[in-house]
Amino acid sequence: MTPAHATARRVSPDEVRARLGEPEPMTRAKVRDRVDAHAHRFIAHSPFLTLATADARGRADCSPRGDYPGFVKVLDAHTLALPDRPGNRLADSFRNLAENDGVGLLFFVPGVRETLRVNGRAHPTDEPDVLARMRTEAREPALALVVEVAEVYFHCGRALIRSRLWDPASQELAAELPSPGQVAVDQLGLDMDPALVDQGLETGYRKLF
Amino acid sequence: MQQTVLDRADPLADDVLSLELRGADGPLAPWEPGAHIDLALPNWLTRQFSLCGDPADPERYRVAVRHDPLSRGGSEYVHRFLRTGRPLEVSLPRNHFPLLPAPAYLFLAGGIGVTAVAPMLRAAVAAGARAELVYVGRSASAMPFADELRAAYGERVRTVVTAEEGRPDLAALAARTAPGTLVYCCGPASMLADAEAVFPAERLRTERFRPREREFAPAAPFEVACARSGRVVEVAADESLLDALAYAGLPLPSGCREGVCGSCELAVLEGEPEHRDDVGAPAGRMYACVSRARSPRLVVDL
Repeated sequence: MTPAHATARRVSPDEVRARLGEPEPMTRAKVRDRVDAHAHRFIAHSPFLTLATADARGRADCSPRGDYPGFVKVLDAHTLALPDRPGNRLADSFRNLAENDGVGLLFFVPGVRETLRVNGRAHPTDEPDVLARMRTEAREPALALVVEVAEVYFHCGRALIRSRLWDPASQELAAELPSPGQVAVDQLGLDMDPALVDQGLETGYRKLF
Repeated sequence: MQQTVLDRADPLADDVLSLELRGADGPLAPWEPGAHIDLALPNWLTRQFSLCGDPADPERYRVAVRHDPLSRGGSEYVHRFLRTGRPLEVSLPRNHFPLLPAPAYLFLAGGIGVTAVAPMLRAAVAAGARAELVYVGRSASAMPFADELRAAYGERVRTVVTAEEGRPDLAALAARTAPGTLVYCCGPASMLADAEAVFPAERLRTERFRPREREFAPAAPFEVACARSGRVVEVAADESLLDALAYAGLPLPSGCREGVCGSCELAVLEGEPEHRDDVGAPAGRMYACVSRARSPRLVVDL
């Protein structure tokens, strides 16, 4: 029998709108076209964000970015800069941005339920004055991502409240997951001890900058 | 570490804020002119600032912070986001720039470097020594303490505004400086280089904000034996001793992580360290953030 989800009915955009109702006027009003003092303070205290991009055909991608709070620099009210720290070198975001420069950023501050959304257009840079502001542990990133800001707004805290994201007790969930080494051994069909893969990963994590 | 509360943050000059940190648990540790503290900021960054208040006041520390347009998040945080009333941890004062006894002193301050030098001038004058300050800045409105120092010390203080007068002629100044004068210089790299070119090294003391640009031989791996814990830690070519120790569960305090502040000082019992810092490690000490080893093995007091 075909599972129900395979034939799940698609709800049209108009019908989605009809079911959700219209947003409060205040919700639309809080969308700004610039980084004001409140948004700046939020970004200056945020050690983590997600970065969404898509290629020219709309194939989308979302990746995590993290560092010390304020690692994203507010160059001016319309411009942000993100360091490109060492990662998996897949460069998915840069590849997408080469085709389609639209980006969506979601900033988190630990302990704060509201998040900050920033949408705009982005391009890579190696401008020395921008990279100099990102020097940590005596190393500068090779590249930074400059974001030209189009929309900035605070997103309400319901998702983070429901998810209990900052509740220390939520971290007990981690114990229910296999180690990354176990996942790699299973997914890649490796004939080796998962603990060795985990050890290798931990050694790799020693170099963060 | 010491607990303080930020009591006041007042503009002192263009882009310069004066911070007053009150001891939260009673008197603060004493300090002498030339000393600095590490200030742990709420954004996890630690920055070093020279103490520029009154050494006789155990109630509070004073520092002055210039907003660097290329800030990595330290001075920008202080200027834009730090709020009075906030508790802040500071280190014990450290002094790599102490005022040594001398019959005469010449102080050279560039920009915010005046914060280290101003208490030294006050102490030198109070001790009855001959003392002169040449204080260089880009513009008069960007020079903290200039009016206060001129008012207190008159002709002993000469301010040079480079936008109007250009950089001072340190060679001419050196030529007329009496032998036996100790020269203290704190300022940007260009000023330190000028001073190093004209004053004899044995009479010149410097304090840097940023490390000197230097080339080192390629880093090699080495082994560190920790005398107290009995642990042996391998330091790979591409990691610092500070990081290797932290990873092994032996974290040291750290501040600038670029060999300037001295917070990660470590006692060396055996072996030959390769010093790469700009502090100037005393005998038997090294700074784990940048320094490595010339011998394949070091024994440290850890």
